[in-house]
Amino acid sequence: MSTSSVSKGCFVFKPSAKKKKTLSLEDHFIHGCEGTENSEMRFKLCQDLWDTIKTDTEVLQDELNRNILDSLLDFTRKCSSTRQHSDWASQMRASEIPTAALVLGVNVPDHDMTFQGLSELLQQSVTPHVASVQAKECGALKHLMKRVLERLMGAVVTVDDEEEEEEVEQTSAQLHNSVHCSLSTLCDWYNTKSKKSYTGTPGKKRSSPVKDDPQQPPLVIIFKDLEAFNPRVLQDFILICSRYIERLPLMFIFGIATSPSTIQHMLPHSVSSLLCIELFQSLSCTQHLATVIDKFILTTHFPFKLNGKVMQVMISIFLYHDFSVRNFIKGVQLALLEHFHSQPLSVLCCKNKEALLNVMQLGHQDLERIRQLPSFKRYIEKQEPQEQVNLSTDDAHIKEVCQRLIKDLHKYHKNYYPILRCLHTLTSSLPRYPLGKQIRELHLICLEKNVWENEEYQSAMRLLKMLAKDELITLLQKCVEILQLAKSKNMTSALVQLEDVLAKFKQLDVVAAEPPPSVEDCITSPVKNLQKKTDLFQLQKALLEMNESRRSKKLSPFEILRNEAIEFIDGLVKSHLSPPESQTLNEVCYYTSSATVRRHLNATPRTSIQTALNSPYYYLQNDRLKTEDGTVSNAAPDICIVYKLHLECGRLINLFDWLEAYATVVSAAEGNNPDFDNFGKVDDVKHARFIRAVSELEFLGFIKSTRQKTDHVARITWGGC
Amino acid sequence: MSALLQQPGYEEERLQTVAEQLPCREVQAGMLLSLMGQPHQYSYPSIFIYGHRSSGKSHVMHVLLKELELPHATVSCVECVSVALLFEQVLLSFFGCDAASLLPRSPSLSDFVRIYRQRCSQSPAKQTRYIVMEKAELLRDTDANLLPALLRLQELVEDNVTIILLTDIVWDKFRPNTGCFEPLLLHFPDYSKGELQQILSQDRHPSYSAELYSAYINILLGVFYSVCRDLRELRHLAALNFSKFCEPLTEGKVKETDTHKLWRNIEPHLKKAMQTVYLREVSSLQWEQMQQMEKKENGALRGLSAHTHVELPYYSKFLLIAAYLASFNPARTDKRFFVKHHGKIRKTNFLKKNEKTSNHLLGPKPFPLDRLLAIFYSVVDSRVAPTASIFSQISSLVTLQLLTQVSHGDQLDAPKYKCAVSMDFICAISRTVNFEIVKYLYDFL
Amino acid sequence: MSKRKSKDAHLPVGECITQLQEILRKRLCHQQLPDRPEGVEAQHKHLLELLKRTAVHGESNSVLIVGPRGAGKTMLLKCVLRDLLEETEAQTNLLQVHLNGLLQTNDRIALQEITRQLHLENVVGDKVFGSFAENLAFLLEALKKGDRSSSRPVLFVLDEFDLFAHHKNQTLLYNLLDVSQSAQAPIAVVGTTCRLDVLELLEKRVKSRFSHRQIHLLNNPTFTQYLERVQTQLSLSDDFPDNKFSRDWNASIETLCEDKSVAEVLQRHFNSSKDFRSMHMLLMLCLSRVSAAKPAIRPADLLEASKMCFADAKANMLHGLSILELCLIIAMKHLNDVYEGEPFNLQMVHNEFKKFLQRKSNSMYNFEQPVIMKAFEHLQQLEMIRPVDSSVVKTQREYRLMRLMLDHSQVMEALQKYPQCPTDVKQWAMSAFG
Repeated sequence: MSTSSVSKGCFVFKPSAKKKKTLSLEDHFIHGCEGTENSEMRFKLCQDLWDTIKTDTEVLQDELNRNILDSLLDFTRKCSSTRQHSDWASQMRASEIPTAALVLGVNVPDHDMTFQGLSELLQQSVTPHVASVQAKECGALKHLMKRVLERLMGAVVTVDDEEEEEEVEQTSAQLHNSVHCSLSTLCDWYNTKSKKSYTGTPGKKRSSPVKDDPQQPPLVIIFKDLEAFNPRVLQDFILICSRYIERLPLMFIFGIATSPSTIQHMLPHSVSSLLCIELFQSLSCTQHLATVIDKFILTTHFPFKLNGKVMQVMISIFLYHDFSVRNFIKGVQLALLEHFHSQPLSVLCCKNKEALLNVMQLGHQDLERIRQLPSFKRYIEKQEPQEQVNLSTDDAHIKEVCQRLIKDLHKYHKNYYPILRCLHTLTSSLPRYPLGKQIRELHLICLEKNVWENEEYQSAMRLLKMLAKDELITLLQKCVEILQLAKSKNMTSALVQLEDVLAKFKQLDVVAAEPPPSVEDCITSPVKNLQKKTDLFQLQKALLEMNESRRSKKLSPFEILRNEAIEFIDGLVKSHLSPPESQTLNEVCYYTSSATVRRHLNATPRTSIQTALNSPYYYLQNDRLKTEDGTVSNAAPDICIVYKLHLECGRLINLFDWLEAYATVVSAAEGNNPDFDNFGKVDDVKHARFIRAVSELEFLGFIKSTRQKTDHVARITWGGC
Repeated sequence: MSALLQQPGYEEERLQTVAEQLPCREVQAGMLLSLMGQPHQYSYPSIFIYGHRSSGKSHVMHVLLKELELPHATVSCVECVSVALLFEQVLLSFFGCDAASLLPRSPSLSDFVRIYRQRCSQSPAKQTRYIVMEKAELLRDTDANLLPALLRLQELVEDNVTIILLTDIVWDKFRPNTGCFEPLLLHFPDYSKGELQQILSQDRHPSYSAELYSAYINILLGVFYSVCRDLRELRHLAALNFSKFCEPLTEGKVKETDTHKLWRNIEPHLKKAMQTVYLREVSSLQWEQMQQMEKKENGALRGLSAHTHVELPYYSKFLLIAAYLASFNPARTDKRFFVKHHGKIRKTNFLKKNEKTSNHLLGPKPFPLDRLLAIFYSVVDSRVAPTASIFSQISSLVTLQLLTQVSHGDQLDAPKYKCAVSMDFICAISRTVNFEIVKYLYDFL
Repeated sequence: MSKRKSKDAHLPVGECITQLQEILRKRLCHQQLPDRPEGVEAQHKHLLELLKRTAVHGESNSVLIVGPRGAGKTMLLKCVLRDLLEETEAQTNLLQVHLNGLLQTNDRIALQEITRQLHLENVVGDKVFGSFAENLAFLLEALKKGDRSSSRPVLFVLDEFDLFAHHKNQTLLYNLLDVSQSAQAPIAVVGTTCRLDVLELLEKRVKSRFSHRQIHLLNNPTFTQYLERVQTQLSLSDDFPDNKFSRDWNASIETLCEDKSVAEVLQRHFNSSKDFRSMHMLLMLCLSRVSAAKPAIRPADLLEASKMCFADAKANMLHGLSILELCLIIAMKHLNDVYEGEPFNLQMVHNEFKKFLQRKSNSMYNFEQPVIMKAFEHLQQLEMIRPVDSSVVKTQREYRLMRLMLDHSQVMEALQKYPQCPTDVKQWAMSAFG
């Protein structure tokens, strides 16, 4: 989440996606990836896909932030305008600095994009003068000053202190308008600026905005991460600014990760009384994720898919560790790259037509690969013997088959998502959410196994069969809308059927203007009061005895109709929501290795160190290191041996004994015989090696030197983590 | 009242205007004037003026020097991030910018004095020059020589100059341990209730009578005087609540004379203001909007500190909970709380005699990382791998200031932390992961 | 004869007052030198002799003038210099370098300053020197006159001598004193300091080079002397333009000094401090009350003035606190009494305050925690309470450990002075246990 984690001794496994940034990405990609013959093509596909995803995410980001940013802009405009007109009340407020507290949630990595967008918008539509500062670049007040002035005036500002002097020297050598670091200089600059713009020579690009006040665009200062700032610095800065507020239309924007109350915690009242704070809440990152998944995962636009496990890993990382959408997308990127990198057949993972062409391009080797695919094997077994032979021998034939299968796969996707959404719309409003509240949960269920086989689904269906008419109709209406968007044959047919079911419902109340109220309420009531029921057991009981009562009395036309509607939905589900593993050639599109993703995105540094030290063979594949578990071969690297030895010691380790033990082990490794007199003698080389190994251990944080005993070191770790 | 302000060497009407601008501060102004003496006469080298915030210190100085057109430089010590700025401003306002430009980069006191001397030898003072330093208490944080040097500046630069220090801290806290030139102490007493009344009544709303406004001020003081005597604050509050006060009048329910009704109308409102505006929980803008809303019911606008809810990742929540437990429970009680089969240790057994005061009175205690993790693993329901992101979450909790790191950041082994969240915050968090924390807190056993 | 003219000239009172103010202010504010220093004749003679030897006969020397602040060290030195320069030879010969520990904070700056004061910038130009010693030697060398082989004597005056002892291994002092020891060039080093233990500050090698001459100005005059001093400070010399006025004035001063109450006041000041500065301050305050309307210092003025001098600042500040803040202070006082001055935090104080409120029926003081916090912060701003640890370690504010910077008596006194202080609060403060 925050880069400071590095300082805590965690290892950062750079996602190999980073390679794409460097030069000659293609070579990187092609070098050592499976099936080199079509690697260029795969690389191209991969890159195109990623680019589309990237652009789309940015667009998405913008429209997600749209409304909050707009409200912010209004706020700034209002403030800058209220400065002008002077009614009795607003004069009293004039002494305060307008401040927007922008609460963005704890997903810090995502904030940068937001602020980027914000400052751009501000510059376009409100004021040319925007400066944004981060905590880590303003340790002291003068640095904060310097940054702010530089960014506002675009000039070099001299700060009088020794450590910076020469740096300032040479910068000021470059351009001459180096000014003293105080707000008064800013004042002068601003006055000249505003005068100039007033006389009509615009200093910077300024569009419509300035209509509200031609000569007084506000100076906006954005504090990106308020929590990280040093409170003292912030206080002093605010104090200074408040002395100039009459002359400078200053404005603050606080980027807050946790909650607005932190302002009260950081600033004493004497300071916070100088601010006029307005609150802005951005939408929560979970909603954000929902939209992202909706746009990128649950759609047919991207042929590339994630299977259940991988999805599970990524989502759990998001929910459990960091609420960062950016990281989530990074994960997708990684999976994408890995898929195209490791799976030669991923050449078929693209839009329908290209895929068909690519099938034609496939070489013999690839076809062999296809034959090896488990899903394809299953497919072959289903065919009758002659066909089987053809498939396993005739390349031309298999290509045709493949084309057909690819088509089927695409059809499958075309049907899968609309039905998924329908099911979700139907079930998401049920009490206790049997199939999950979020669509992603439902999606995960479907990816795992046949959704209609687990009992949550059954109970959901049972509940649906008890819905009151109006509810049911509205839900079905929603489904219709969804299906209208989908444009595959089955979907259109389904749409038709669903619509006439709805029509029947309509007729129903035409026919029986008032159905027997008794039935009506005994139908409507249960689910209603089920809503109130909280614990699962009660729910089941209620359902059972409801069914009992149902059996007893005959069904009303409405109930019949309702049942058949539900049956229809059920049928749709059964026919279209089968898990992707069941589809032939699904390996082409689905990325499956969740282990890789986990290893890259959620590294476990300590355990990997432990393994490296315990069994070096795991990393450096050298047969001499191979040992039966537990022991370390005495040919292992020094640090491993030393580590192993130190595991046997208590809290305090006597260095000399340690050295002795080490010497014996090593000389055993050198293969001089034990009864030889200088066996296990400590010579300089051994000593040196030992010292180095020990210091390496200390560096890795397993031991540290102790005050109380100089010739001893203390263990820091105790197995575990 | 202008009788108080009489000093030869200044025009009468000037003094008149000064006196008008300084209500309830004539005595101090007169005192100052008499100390300053006539423009060409020497004045005491350094004068130290102390008094509470907004007791008119800088205002009086400013008005005097401005109206009487005396050569002066006013410096706010907050602004002087470096002494260079201070020197620059002084030279600038006395000798013009070419003098200021003579200063080398990162100048020393000696440079300043040198330039000052050479300049004032060129243009000797016909009138006493004044250097006013606001928030002088900050001078103590700059290098140790500055304050003593300034106090005897007159002697150092051999010019008719007087330093005037303004602060709200007593002189005893300034005096360096080897002593220095003692300035002349001058106290600005706080405004009495009557004086506050008088001053506040001056900025009355144009469209209402003065009597009404002063009546209003009277009510306001009745509520706030016991809490706050800061003129600025009071003025702020007065401005914000006046419209509410006038509501019945505008609606024509009450006559101006009927102060009692008005009082009953405004009184609870002011009480509320104490919780909100006075603490800047809600900004003045919002406060006004609230009052608009209240006309049509539910002005329930929550203050800043009402928004304490924070969305956290699942494990971060548990980490925070663990941290809270670790910093509010004594370490030796961990066994009883987190070991499955602790053989029935009752509280009395491990209650020491000296532990009468609860930890929630004393505040959080620091704890090592290992303890945090140990508690974390035992608290969190599922089994968690010690992944990098767990550790990075700890450090990001620190950057979010939900935890604070006690030991230095550079020390890698066994860093110590403190939990920096309040009781109800942690309760809210643990409710979301339905973990009843109170059962695990030693204080609430 | 211009004097004669002014003798019988009669000036209007206002004019006289202006004159008077001007003269006396010169004395009191600007430390104008008296014609002859009182009480320190011996030291004056001694120092004059010393410097004369340097100035005229080119002997090197070093001397320290030690005395408490405001004892008249600088005054003495200046007088001596003034008298010294009356002799033409000294005038022509002697060069002066004035350094101040407050200004020349390190030896680099000091050396620059020396160069500048000897007008050798252009001589030095942009030469680079191996060591400080070389540089100084060069400077002194450059002072050699063409004809005479001996170089001109230089007088180094080091104000705030003790501060120079803090410079990096005391290079400046070492070199100056070294030169003064070895007869390279005739220089005299005169240091003034208020630290009696100044020699302990010097390194051994520096100390050994210092001729242990010290001139102590431990002025403890008798009260009568003190009175005389006051009189002389205030009285006008007879070259005052308006003779009559000056006579009246001096007479009024005499009567003033004979006044009983005045004597008491001065006695108090005498007991607290005997030096010139504090006296000047007192007299200045009196003088500021003299105007054309009342052209004399009355005993009342003196009383007022001394009251101002002796005002207890902390009490003044306490007077300005709000009731709430006062209550908090009382709570802290109780905490201090109970836990023998252990530090406390806001929570505890609030608790204590709550206890008080519970005992009372009408609760007009029960404010929210934040309001109390705000008051607490204000107290901290006024430094009436101070955090125990330096503010670098950041803990929640309500748990920050604090100490009360006031003592029992101050609090009680403030309570007595406090305008319309509620009785119950008073009682609470009185009560032994919170």
